[in-house]
Amino acid sequence: MIPVPYYLTISAVLFTVGMAGVLVRRNALVIFMAIELMLNSVNLTFVAFARQLAAIEGQVAVFFVIVIAAVEVVVGLAIIIAIFRARSTVDIDDVDLLRG
Amino acid sequence: MPPNVVVDWLYVGVFAIVGTIMAALPLAVVWLLAPRADLPQKTLTYESGVIPFGQAWAQFNVRYYLFALIFVVFDVEVIYLYPWAVVFRRLSAFAFVEMLIFVLILLVGLAYAWRKGALEWV
Amino acid sequence: MSASDLWSIVPELWLAGLAIFLLLVDLLTARKSLVGVVAVMGLLLSIIPIGSLLTQGARTVIFGSYAVDGFAVFFKILTVIATALVVLAAIDWLPGRSQYEGEFYALLVFTALGLVLMAASTDIILLALSIEFVSLTSYVLAGYLKGDVKSNEAGVKYFLYGAAASAVMLFGFSILYGLTGSTNLYEIARRVANAPLPALYLSIALMLSGFGFKISMVPFHQWTPDVYEGAPTPVAAYLSVASKAAGFAALVRMLMVVVDPGRLNWILLIAVLSAVSMTLGNLLALPQRNIKRMLAYSSISHAGFLLIGVAAFRGDFGTPGLLIYLLGYMFTQLGAFFVAALIGQQLGTDDIPDYAGLSRRAPVSALLMAVFMLSLTGFPPTSVFIGKFYVLAGAIDNGLLWLAIVGVVNSVISLYYYAGVIRAMYVMPAASTVPLREPAALQVALGIAGLGTLLIGLYPQPIIDLARSAVLLLRI
Repeated sequence: MIPVPYYLTISAVLFTVGMAGVLVRRNALVIFMAIELMLNSVNLTFVAFARQLAAIEGQVAVFFVIVIAAVEVVVGLAIIIAIFRARSTVDIDDVDLLRG
Repeated sequence: MPPNVVVDWLYVGVFAIVGTIMAALPLAVVWLLAPRADLPQKTLTYESGVIPFGQAWAQFNVRYYLFALIFVVFDVEVIYLYPWAVVFRRLSAFAFVEMLIFVLILLVGLAYAWRKGALEWV
Repeated sequence: MSASDLWSIVPELWLAGLAIFLLLVDLLTARKSLVGVVAVMGLLLSIIPIGSLLTQGARTVIFGSYAVDGFAVFFKILTVIATALVVLAAIDWLPGRSQYEGEFYALLVFTALGLVLMAASTDIILLALSIEFVSLTSYVLAGYLKGDVKSNEAGVKYFLYGAAASAVMLFGFSILYGLTGSTNLYEIARRVANAPLPALYLSIALMLSGFGFKISMVPFHQWTPDVYEGAPTPVAAYLSVASKAAGFAALVRMLMVVVDPGRLNWILLIAVLSAVSMTLGNLLALPQRNIKRMLAYSSISHAGFLLIGVAAFRGDFGTPGLLIYLLGYMFTQLGAFFVAALIGQQLGTDDIPDYAGLSRRAPVSALLMAVFMLSLTGFPPTSVFIGKFYVLAGAIDNGLLWLAIVGVVNSVISLYYYAGVIRAMYVMPAASTVPLREPAALQVALGIAGLGTLLIGLYPQPIIDLARSAVLLLRI
């Protein structure tokens, strides 16, 4: 069996990649994908810990995180499409009416 | 690294190699055995037998996206039904009623989407 | 789980049923203001089951995942009042701006349900779900005016910030679960003593990003001005009050129940964040011309003030002060935003200089706005004064004298920009003297907000008693 710390390392790497994506990329869709990556790293951590601790709650949590991610997809894509229709761009540097 | 972990990784490695071969082998066999005729028509985009016209970079209507969004939600809600179904025999009638209410709330959502015309092909 | 558990969550069931019912009403009627009226009546009726909880002892229900205690009841009351006022204001504000009017009220009630759940969750799964629930409905509400590019922009910014912040928070939750092997807050509190300290620090820091986002605490505040400016004004009002209050509820429950400050000293961390939030929010509010942006930056500064109440949690002043502050701030901030909504609707502008001569054109609203501005500064006898007094007393009581001094200095600074609004309304010459129309429902909401502000300021004793009993019940 692959030891739990390996999973935790992968999940930390995934999380970092996601975080870097959020901070570095300027395309709203790509940022959004990076956030999904972070949520998946959360899932991996929960499952790994649930396995290690032999406690079911972690797996239950994953179910809910999956749904959170899916609903975020729906709401987020709808908002991004709304802004794309108004501006024909999803680059967040161009979305700059509100400032000051 | 403990030895059983090495064995585990060995499985992964063997799986990766065999998988790659399985994918590459048919392609190689086809490339070796199949007759070839390089006609200009073969490079055309396939559009159900009609001769293609215009650019492939035309803008597509994203009318699917509403269906897609609604589908994603209902699709993912199903994951709650699986664990419920697995332990269904051991649950009381209370759990059954609970799931009924859950599905009922989803139905209200569907009715809402339907009534608002989100399911119409426009 | 038993039937009596279900009786304890009747307010939540009522709100959920009400929101679904509103969606159905919206499908069946063409008169959308009817949906708003039904929403207000339903929210007011929910006070009955909430009030019946007051007489019961503190306990957890549904496998220990949900608290029924005075603390939760306090936030239920606060949320329901705030939601009802915002719905009332929106009934006059929304028509003509969006073709989806009925859903707006349903979404507000759904958000209220999420906020109520957030304040009472004692399980990190339920907590994460309810925070996410509130966030998702808020994203939609912020970007509600689809034809308005500013509202779109507010929606997308709120969404990207919020989704990232909650993902970070969830990662913190997953680590906390890994450290303790439980998702129940009370169980975690028992087991956390054995957890390695660096990992605990990491998980608390990650979780703070989610809570910090909700309460718009520095350094998670950047979304606030943009979202408040772009979002529909009633939504901005709602976010600045209700979602902030629930964020504080969740933060206080998490910190006070789970983390023993003797083991992990979060008090200093919160105190520093509080001082930075107060100061930065204030300094950024000074040059603002747009009333909604000004209120946004001032809400960051008030988040800093409220954090004093979190840091000064020992004794009789800090945490009760936080609750009193939240309730008083709710009435005042809602009122200020409602005036902004009224002016925005009648004059089509959110700029403070355009408020010139308002004392003549809309005397009642101008007077109330002046009261709200004085209250936000912290002048007696207003509601925010009582709150500020209590949290500052709490800070001194807890040996955080420097924090209290920072708070007082910031109150003085904030007078400058709050008084600017009063100056525009009363001193600057009016561009026109045509009286403004003041719509009925918005007036009622405004009147209640003003009444609440003054009543808590003049006769705070019942609220103080309520807050004290609410805090006593927090730990179970």
